[in-house]
Amino acid sequence: MTSLIFLQFLVDVMFLTLVLLHLTKKNFIAVIAFGVQSLMLAMLFFVSFLETGNRYILLMVFFTFAIKVVLAPLFFIRLIRKYQLYFSVNTYLSMPATLGIIAGLTFMAHSARFVPLTQIVPEHQMLLSLALSLIFIALFLIINRKEAISQILSVLALENSIVVFIIFAGLEQSPNLQIGILFNIFVWIVIATVFVSMIYKHFWSHDVTVMKNLTD
Amino acid sequence: MYLTLLLATLVITIVLLVLVKNRLVIETLAVFSGAVMLVYSFLIALTVAEVGVYSFSFFLSVDALGAIIILIIGTMGFATAIYSVSYFNQETKKGIVGRTRVKQYFVLLYVFLTAMYLATTASSPIFAWISIEATTLSTAFLISFYNKPSAIEGAWKYLIINSVGLLLGFFGTMLYFTAVPSTLNGGFIGWDDLLQNANQLDPLMAKIAFIFVLIGYGTKVGLAPMHTWKPDAYSKAPAPLGALLAGALLPVAFFVILKFERVTDAVVGPEFSHQLFLVFGILSIIVAALIMFNAKNYKRLLAYSSIENAGIIALGFSFGGLGVLGAVLHMIYHSGVKAVMFFSAGNMLLTYGSDKIDKIKNALRVIPVTSVLFILGFLIVTGTPPFGIFFSKVYILSAGIASHPYVTFLAIFFMTLVFIGFLKHVTAMFLSDSEESDLVHGEKNIWLVIPPIFFVILIVGLSFTIPPFLQTLIDAVVVNY
Repeated sequence: MTSLIFLQFLVDVMFLTLVLLHLTKKNFIAVIAFGVQSLMLAMLFFVSFLETGNRYILLMVFFTFAIKVVLAPLFFIRLIRKYQLYFSVNTYLSMPATLGIIAGLTFMAHSARFVPLTQIVPEHQMLLSLALSLIFIALFLIINRKEAISQILSVLALENSIVVFIIFAGLEQSPNLQIGILFNIFVWIVIATVFVSMIYKHFWSHDVTVMKNLTD
Repeated sequence: MYLTLLLATLVITIVLLVLVKNRLVIETLAVFSGAVMLVYSFLIALTVAEVGVYSFSFFLSVDALGAIIILIIGTMGFATAIYSVSYFNQETKKGIVGRTRVKQYFVLLYVFLTAMYLATTASSPIFAWISIEATTLSTAFLISFYNKPSAIEGAWKYLIINSVGLLLGFFGTMLYFTAVPSTLNGGFIGWDDLLQNANQLDPLMAKIAFIFVLIGYGTKVGLAPMHTWKPDAYSKAPAPLGALLAGALLPVAFFVILKFERVTDAVVGPEFSHQLFLVFGILSIIVAALIMFNAKNYKRLLAYSSIENAGIIALGFSFGGLGVLGAVLHMIYHSGVKAVMFFSAGNMLLTYGSDKIDKIKNALRVIPVTSVLFILGFLIVTGTPPFGIFFSKVYILSAGIASHPYVTFLAIFFMTLVFIGFLKHVTAMFLSDSEESDLVHGEKNIWLVIPPIFFVILIVGLSFTIPPFLQTLIDAVVVNY
């Protein structure tokens, strides 16, 4: 029971970091929020290791920590400093509308409509509902943000949210495959970071709405 | 054995391409490896035709549909390697790309080919997902190859849209695993495990999972409404890569969807997946037909044509029976004809220096062979008899007319619209009178026309006769799907 409360606390922190990612106007804070979210994910893996004693999960803790908590934020902070991208571009929706939609999505994830997904492990129903709301809110973040760095962070936040759902649904895969997925994510982060640099060099902005060359 | 040799060839090629600096050696290596890759692809397909499912180790296996896709990748890969050598030689002469860039191109091209082979041969859905994601990562820099603002824009859209799509696909994939104990095979759950445990999967869960998978991998296929990255990426990528994206990546992504469809059908019956294929299929045809009519860029035109053909293939699998036969044949013919059209488009770009339709004037006189090839490509892809796509469309529509007459008539109407739209652009580009005075007449290099000529011959040949081993594979796919 104590363990469930602790798990709930970790996911709640992830939820709050995701809301912060929606609301913050400073890229530095967004990166820190993502780092904290990833740290919570690494801690979830660590709890899983303590419960199962599986040493491969410890490896997952290490890789998640190294890639998502340390390397990715470092990449992004370097990028922010290099191109002085301290302030993020406005979102498509205003803050009250954004908060309203977040509330709506959270409510939707907890509704009876999604019971088939949240009942995969009945004792984790509350956690799975929260994880599902994380997925919805991360998807909304991708749509609502106009700038390149925020979009990258949103995609990574979506990936974190899906991994949380997988953990609580007991759907973890072979550690080799999980490491393969993490390696993919790492390469993705590197490539996306390079693209942000390229976008800035060509458009002198990190606002993706300035990219209007390709239309019919 | 062949599979290991194939993958070893690809890995060795990538390593050598990274190490070697001499351009001639790089080009020779790319073409030679392409030839070896094609030979192994044929040997694998022959083996599958003979034994059914060909497995190598716990991690890799190829079924009939996989063998067909492998053949497509091998043929397209080899032809693309040959064409790319001449294409980039011409671009280097014009000062568009330098030596280092060509090396980067071939390295990424082979990473892309390897990822596609792995996605097709992976016996685990997660391994297949990792490979499909690797195709996105390897091609992102190829799409932004020319380092222009529009290319960066196209590549960025491609990267973000496909990554989000694939994450949703990943989520759907994991939902299928609720039927299988996570401890099975040490957590390495394969396609066969999913099929064998399908009766354990909750029907509602199977439906939700398939929707996510279809949206996720459907983004990679380019089915509407997830198609928005396609015109941007295809038009900005180097022409030879466009051929591979349209001709090889599309069937690979479709292959993964079909693998999940088998599991879903085993749980809830085929009606559910067929309905979804029907909706996405007809929507893709309609969207493509409406936009193609007013297209201003001939590479974007080819992208919309790919969206339309992805829709036709989806319709074929939706109708079932004869429709599946039509869909598989359509997949094969479409890959070939997209090579013809993208290679021809590359030749047009080299001659005119523009991918705008209104800049191409009197091409039939300026580059006659390329023009004839493009026109033939247009006739083939729009389903003009006696080419293969005519027959594949007839099979699909015949299957649909009985079960879904309204959708079939709608499909016929919009396919006709595609033909008219395409014809309008082809007429403008190849038969208009005015001509730019400073253009050099004639083809730039014989090796720029040999690959598309090869594909025209191949399509014409396959339109009238299918080799027995390929027929065996197609029959096996029809039985399974």
